[in-house]
Amino acid sequence: MMEWVWMIAGVVLTLMVFSYIFGDNFLFRVATYLFVGVAAGYLFVVVFYQVLMPRLVEPILLGTMGERVLAVVPLLGAALLLFKISPRLAFLGKAPMAFLVGVGAAVAIGGSVFGTLLGQVNAAGAPFRSGSGILEGLLALIGAVGVLAYFQFSTPARASLSGEVPKRPAWLEALAWVGQIFLGITLGALFSGVLIASITALLDRVQAILLLLARLLS
Amino acid sequence: MRSPVMTALAIAAGLIVLLGYLIPPEWTSLAYIQAVRAIFIGWAVVLAGIAAWVGVIHLFLTHLRRMTARRDADRYSVLVVLAFLVTAAAGMILTPADPRFQQAVLAIQVPVEATLLGLLAVTLVFASMRLFQRRKGVMAVVFVISAVFFLLLGAGLLMPLQEMPLPGALIGFFERLPVAGGRGILIGIALGSLMTGLRILLGADRPYSG
Repeated sequence: MMEWVWMIAGVVLTLMVFSYIFGDNFLFRVATYLFVGVAAGYLFVVVFYQVLMPRLVEPILLGTMGERVLAVVPLLGAALLLFKISPRLAFLGKAPMAFLVGVGAAVAIGGSVFGTLLGQVNAAGAPFRSGSGILEGLLALIGAVGVLAYFQFSTPARASLSGEVPKRPAWLEALAWVGQIFLGITLGALFSGVLIASITALLDRVQAILLLLARLLS
Repeated sequence: MRSPVMTALAIAAGLIVLLGYLIPPEWTSLAYIQAVRAIFIGWAVVLAGIAAWVGVIHLFLTHLRRMTARRDADRYSVLVVLAFLVTAAAGMILTPADPRFQQAVLAIQVPVEATLLGLLAVTLVFASMRLFQRRKGVMAVVFVISAVFFLLLGAGLLMPLQEMPLPGALIGFFERLPVAGGRGILIGIALGSLMTGLRILLGADRPYSG
């Protein structure tokens, strides 16, 4: 019985969202507002059970003395951070926010250096170390450097002070042009991936509607 | 007003965590820094969870205010408030692992998300056509050729060609070309994150002081 209820609810919501094809309307808004409410409620519950319960509530209620002492700091920080809800008392939440931003910045630096930069530089150099696919590796290297050059927008301070239109050096301009081509190829590939994924989702919803219709008629 | 105490707190916490990344595990004499780093990250996870709660509660209160406003009350906000209360109450009682709760949440989230993604297909096609009409540069031409090629490849229409030796090798080569641009984009994002992080640790940016 409940399976039927959720199946019909899913199809009704699908049709309500599809109604956006005719422009922003009552049905589309009802579906999206409902979605926002449910998603916010789900996030609230998941944060409690996956983060706060094991890392804050359980150590305080069931932990050893050492765990309880360590849990006092985040408990105090959490209490202060909750003052951010009130605009008048929001200043009380500055300390835990500063701690969170500081740790977050360090984690972002660590992640970008050890997770992305070193990994990507290592992968770019792999064909030259192994000796196989050197030409393809060189092309990939030129492409990566070109894309970085394409996003280089800073200009010499002298040019901006003198009032003349700032321009990149010719070699950088050429490299950026090559980068533009590689960027176009990558964005085209990404676009096709997103398009295929969204068409698959579209077909899945159409199939859900047809499945319900078939079940109702049989 | 900019608070030097908060800046010092952010820099000190950040530097200790960063030191933990840089000290190799073999240096046992400095193992306590790794331990402190783990504790700090654990605290930050709890605070991030509370920050998410603050965001959700703020959203709830905003819709509650809009719903009860004397002038131009937003009738749709009733849905957000009710849906939030019912989902949160059911989740707290049943726990997120309960299959009934999961089924109810997924029955709303999956159709709405999938249909929005489906609508994106229509929007993307129109947007790409408009892009090609308005910006006829090298990048637009390369973008369209690449998009069509990878669409054909993704749809499996180039499968017969892929089985032949020379066209197959050429298709394989073109298939790997986006890696170069992707690597450039990833390195650019990493450099951006690195700069943002360093600006916070140097005290040049203080997003917590507002």
